[in-house]
Amino acid sequence: MLAAVAGCAPAPSLPPGYVAVGLENGPITLDPRFATDATASQIGDLLFDGLTRLDDQSRRLPQLAARWEVPDPQTYIFHLRDGFRFNSGEPVTAEDVRATYEAIRDPRTHSPKQQELDAIEAVDVLDPLTVRFRLRYPFAPFLNETGLGILPATQLAASPTKPLAQPIGSGPFRLLEFRADDRWVLARNPNYPLGAPRLAGVVFMEVPDALSRLLELKRGTIDLVQNGIDPDSLEWLREQSNIAIATAPSTTFQYLGMNLRAPPLSDVRVRQAIAHAIDRDAIVGTILKGLATPATGLLAPTHWAYSADVTTYAYNPKRAKELLDQAGYIDPDGDGPAPRFRLSYKTTVVELRRRIAEVLQEQLEQVGIRLDIRSYEWATFYNDIKRGNFQLYSLAWVGVEDPDIYFLTCHSSQTPPQGNNRGYFHEESVDGLTEAGRQTLNLSERRRLYGEVQRRVSQLLPIIPLWWPTNVAAMNRRLRGFELRPNGSYVSLKDAWVEE
Amino acid sequence: MIPYIARRLVLAVPTVIGVVTLVFLLIHLVPGDPVDVMLGETARVADKVRLRHQLGLDHPLPVQYARYLSHLARADLGRSLYSGRPVRRMIMARYPATLELAGGALLLALLIAGPLGLAAGARPNSMLDSVSRALAVLGSAVPNFYLGPMLILLFAIHLEWAPVSGRDGLAHLALPALTLGMGMAAILTRMLRAALLDRLHDDYIRTARAKGASEKRVLLKHALRNAVLPVVTVLGLQTGALLAGTIITETIFAWPGLGRLTLLAIQTRDYPLVQGCVLVITLSYVLINLITDVLYGVVDPRLRVNS
Repeated sequence: MLAAVAGCAPAPSLPPGYVAVGLENGPITLDPRFATDATASQIGDLLFDGLTRLDDQSRRLPQLAARWEVPDPQTYIFHLRDGFRFNSGEPVTAEDVRATYEAIRDPRTHSPKQQELDAIEAVDVLDPLTVRFRLRYPFAPFLNETGLGILPATQLAASPTKPLAQPIGSGPFRLLEFRADDRWVLARNPNYPLGAPRLAGVVFMEVPDALSRLLELKRGTIDLVQNGIDPDSLEWLREQSNIAIATAPSTTFQYLGMNLRAPPLSDVRVRQAIAHAIDRDAIVGTILKGLATPATGLLAPTHWAYSADVTTYAYNPKRAKELLDQAGYIDPDGDGPAPRFRLSYKTTVVELRRRIAEVLQEQLEQVGIRLDIRSYEWATFYNDIKRGNFQLYSLAWVGVEDPDIYFLTCHSSQTPPQGNNRGYFHEESVDGLTEAGRQTLNLSERRRLYGEVQRRVSQLLPIIPLWWPTNVAAMNRRLRGFELRPNGSYVSLKDAWVEE
Repeated sequence: MIPYIARRLVLAVPTVIGVVTLVFLLIHLVPGDPVDVMLGETARVADKVRLRHQLGLDHPLPVQYARYLSHLARADLGRSLYSGRPVRRMIMARYPATLELAGGALLLALLIAGPLGLAAGARPNSMLDSVSRALAVLGSAVPNFYLGPMLILLFAIHLEWAPVSGRDGLAHLALPALTLGMGMAAILTRMLRAALLDRLHDDYIRTARAKGASEKRVLLKHALRNAVLPVVTVLGLQTGALLAGTIITETIFAWPGLGRLTLLAIQTRDYPLVQGCVLVITLSYVLINLITDVLYGVVDPRLRVNS
């Protein structure tokens, strides 16, 4: 039977000039008003334009807007470029910008992004190419909301509250067709004002299994796989003659979260001891096969607000034991099996996470801390974390853009269920600094303030930085010009080409 | 026959309601909040409360259950919490793929087990029989998630006879159907062989041989017809299990079927979608059981029900 169908094994069914990208999970929806998953925004960069775009230092650069003014801290005026058109033919105007933002702000839409736009008082059209945002209070992180993909006002009027199946954008590619959650075909927009793509199109395919993705890559039916690559596969990938591998720093931050409400974790010395007890180089080298950099804090070195003037915790089990003794947690039997105390560590059922958990368990055992590993399916795990129901856990912040994330994670008002200060960290100076940081628009003042925040946070350790994972791309050698972006965006496909 | 079928269908209704109720309770009571999953990290508490109200998730459980049943009576499966799309449409977009995969696996299993089981039963303890038994053990023991990638490596990478994954044509069906059907083929082979050997000792077989019938006629016309009955039983049970086995195979081969949709729905706590998927799967089981019972009647006249 196999021989019978062998005769009809099709050649890869990609039209010429197209490349295929393998995804672990397809986007739930591409509608910018509703898209919250990372994949949707990474693909969205090819379909939609925002007023501004992100550069590799996480700063904002012009895109739809040629320039903007901030006449006072609560007013932003954007001047749109002439020449952007939606792929339905209509020009992109200030009215489309207003309609997109108003759709999200409208409570009937139930957009998950409504909260992010909380600072906006009103959006006004001054003329067809000028739009003004008035804020309710000075809010420095506001510019981050200007990357939002703009939809045509006409399409929004037709579907005000339901996610659009085929949203119309003005970007370098347009959505040609999609099939039942597993295939999205993007075709080139030859009239893109910032330079038409050289590729004729991109097909995004959902291939959930990591191994199958790599085998498709080897076979040649897929040209690009970005992240979701098991570190153990790297060696095999490097041996394949038709595959090239690229790596670049990311803005993802993997950390150890702790519940500061109760002893022993309420004592900063215990937290510092744990930081000294972890040998991050060993984990990065052996389990992650070098695909990460040990982290010093939430902001990666590429970030404009990154400060290196922080306290770091080198692997030092002796120092860890000293700190624990000082904190009053003596090891009952010296180097014997009885621990000083136990901690529960929650993680997901993903294999990589569990292996890392086992290494952490072993490393902490060396200084007399017994770790009980509890692994859960994702929604159950996340439920516990959001409710503050944990002692230790590990998670990652993906796509860190504005240093205001320190407000969301460290300000005392942002404890669950309100915000992301899940460990219940409370420090007056950090509260004051993060509040000031979101109010001043002066970039060098913000850099100074957040530098101080990074310094304090590194001393008080509400979370323990683990590492910044490296972005990895495995691609067919025929794909040229694709560059990894720190936030994992596929946007550089607009400048890529194929060489047969 | 018709009253028999009608009665079975009527009896199926409480089964389906029972399963639907159980799943409703389980998915609502398990920890994990769909609103959390939907709105993500930065949502305000007020937003979540409002969304929960809009979706009707803040009503007491019995009220939600009653509303669900009343929608069900109108064949309205609701909308997916996560994507907002109608559940029925989402399921109907994926169900044919699962049917194709299960059907292909079933067909392959029969094509392998039929001749192999027959040959093994005809010549017990021969070389062929030993080989078939060894293959049967292998087929049962090797799990899907190992067999799948091994088949891909051999047929898609080395030989390039078949594609790696995805659903696009008959060639794409070959490897996933083989992966899924292997376990079933193993069981059916052994079942057929055992049933045949059992029947070959019966009196009417001796009579047929004494009458001078050829061995082939004895085997195919007399023994097989009677041996098929226990095989039909196993077939019915295993086809149900086949639906469950599709989840792993669908993941490995990127097959856009119902199994993966159900899994994703559970992971995102998408209540209406989970309930819809389970309902469709339950109805499929009921239908398979009904077909099995009808097949009994066809194969064995003694079992035709007299009302």
